[in-house]
Amino acid sequence: MNDKPILSVRNLTMHYYTRKGDVSAVDDVSFDLARGQSLGLVGESGCGKTSVAFSLLRLLPENAQLLAGNVYLDGCDVLALDEKEVRKIRWRGISMVFQAAMNALDPVYRVGDQIIEALQTHFRGLGEAEARDRVIELFPMVGLDPSLMERYPHEFSGGMRQRAVIAMALSCDPRVIIADEPTTALDVIVQDRILNELRAIQRKMGMSMIYITHDIAVIAEVSDRIGVMYAGRMAELASAVDIFENPFHPYTHALMNAFPSIEGEKQELKALPGEPPDLLSPPSGCRFHPRCSRRIESCNRLQPPFEDMGDDHFVACWNPREVGNG
Amino acid sequence: MDENGALVNVIELEKRFAVSAGVFGRVKGHIHAVDDISFDIPSGRSLGLVGESGCGKTTTGKLLARLMDPTDGHIYLNDDLMGRIDLAEIRGRELKTFRQRVQIIFQDPYESLNPRRTIYDTVEEPLRVQGAGILVEREARVVKLLELVGLTPASSFLFRFPHELSGGQRQRVAIARALVVNPVFVIADEPTSMLDVSIRIGVMQLMTELAERLNVSYLYITHDLAIARYMCHEIAVMYLGKIVEQGETEEMIKNPLHPYTQALFSAVPIPNPRRNRVAIGIKGGVSAPIDPPQRCRFYDRCLVGDEFCHDNDHPPLEDRGAGHRVACYKV
Repeated sequence: MNDKPILSVRNLTMHYYTRKGDVSAVDDVSFDLARGQSLGLVGESGCGKTSVAFSLLRLLPENAQLLAGNVYLDGCDVLALDEKEVRKIRWRGISMVFQAAMNALDPVYRVGDQIIEALQTHFRGLGEAEARDRVIELFPMVGLDPSLMERYPHEFSGGMRQRAVIAMALSCDPRVIIADEPTTALDVIVQDRILNELRAIQRKMGMSMIYITHDIAVIAEVSDRIGVMYAGRMAELASAVDIFENPFHPYTHALMNAFPSIEGEKQELKALPGEPPDLLSPPSGCRFHPRCSRRIESCNRLQPPFEDMGDDHFVACWNPREVGNG
Repeated sequence: MDENGALVNVIELEKRFAVSAGVFGRVKGHIHAVDDISFDIPSGRSLGLVGESGCGKTTTGKLLARLMDPTDGHIYLNDDLMGRIDLAEIRGRELKTFRQRVQIIFQDPYESLNPRRTIYDTVEEPLRVQGAGILVEREARVVKLLELVGLTPASSFLFRFPHELSGGQRQRVAIARALVVNPVFVIADEPTSMLDVSIRIGVMQLMTELAERLNVSYLYITHDLAIARYMCHEIAVMYLGKIVEQGETEEMIKNPLHPYTQALFSAVPIPNPRRNRVAIGIKGGVSAPIDPPQRCRFYDRCLVGDEFCHDNDHPPLEDRGAGHRVACYKV
């Protein structure tokens, strides 16, 4: 098996132009996604995790501009392609499960027909019957009865819609699937079932997945590796276990201590002072420095480099925590 | 206060909504949103109402705030100022005093604050409506409250508008507005679910601290069990309009007895990548409680239910020791 990463993102930088000024939404973000791996991107609202996903698919609004960076999908630079070529990458190369399942489905078409249409658009010459067979094969994988493909989206519950959207994202056999908060609006029992199905499919098909969420407990359960984003930058990137047990970055550490759990003894939660910055005028140097307890002199002047501390554990911090790592 | 020290007694509370269909709006049934529930909230303690969407937790909150009238049952408030009052009976001036003693904090601070009012106007309004004090006293009170909720210095917030504040700051304004009239009981409906992780803990800690300091009881409505664990002395789990289990928070978390509670708690993700959590089974999905059969509401989804559960009425909520109450024949 090819051990080169399926997806490599290098120095990705993207701004939104607004009436108030430039919003530095994604700044110098780099990461790799290995084949068959599940990478979790975690962070608070506005940290740039969804903007990264949209940049990978080149699905950006008009006021967004990619200023720098490369996105290599199997060695091919997605950002250098023209619009026609990008369309071939979407769905078959990288597909996405969106957050709002209700908006991702067209209310006036039968659910099955929408997936058939997607298949026929991306596989020229695929017959209706073959496409239908593919949907019949996909539905049980996501826990839906194939007979449901004749129904309309409004006849589906929230969980069923999300399953249909996952089936649609899987339909063209993508090399990479991006799931953006796919279970956020769902109740916990339904969320648990969908997460189990998604993990089972990902493992069975050896699919590479980027899972985006603000929920630290969910990210712990779905990811092999985790990237923690803060204010448009990648703060830390490491194995899931290292992120939870040996975080170098003070923000990662604070985030882990600010998340309540129902497991084990009740731990004291520590609030993080301040609020995430306004990206119209992000803080100088390290963007986390105004809230950081380990701040040193250089933090407000220079942006810390994103460096490997060993064992594929990357961090961007001038004064990382001391942890026993390898 | 009544003899056992409870601030709120809820007795056999029921709320039904008519479901109509067709062009003539013929009533085709009733949704039993809150179905014969009883509980007490002791003074200075907080009760967490948890459950999935549609279980009736928000309706219960609205009934307790008297934003809605119950179909049946009683809600008593045992207040030092007002004595023991039955919410269904109060009118006029008494209702106005009640509106001061019981407050509500909503989920979305982007919607619950009037965008055209300054922070000062927003927080002062309840005082003005209550006719409390003269202008300078009200001003001083508003400043004190803003400082209490951590919006310091208050002078820099007074004349700002909600759109100039972050989500966390807005929710702090909503808390100040709720507490400015010295309530004894606050109904908080998912007050932190719209807030980011790093902001949420600060607001939770603020609410806990203020409750202790001002001797306020909360009814804390949430779908997030981990948050309920940190905010509440007791937790009650609702399913299709019924309370199926209630007890001390840590006892409930460590030793859930009802099959629904077990399934619900075991489905909560754990922030520990080494842990291989396995959820306890449950059948099917939640349905709407439209004229449900008399038997246990959970029967259709239960893995341990048997013929006895099928043939009998919904089980009573019974004490299984130390105030841990469960409504299940199989426990």
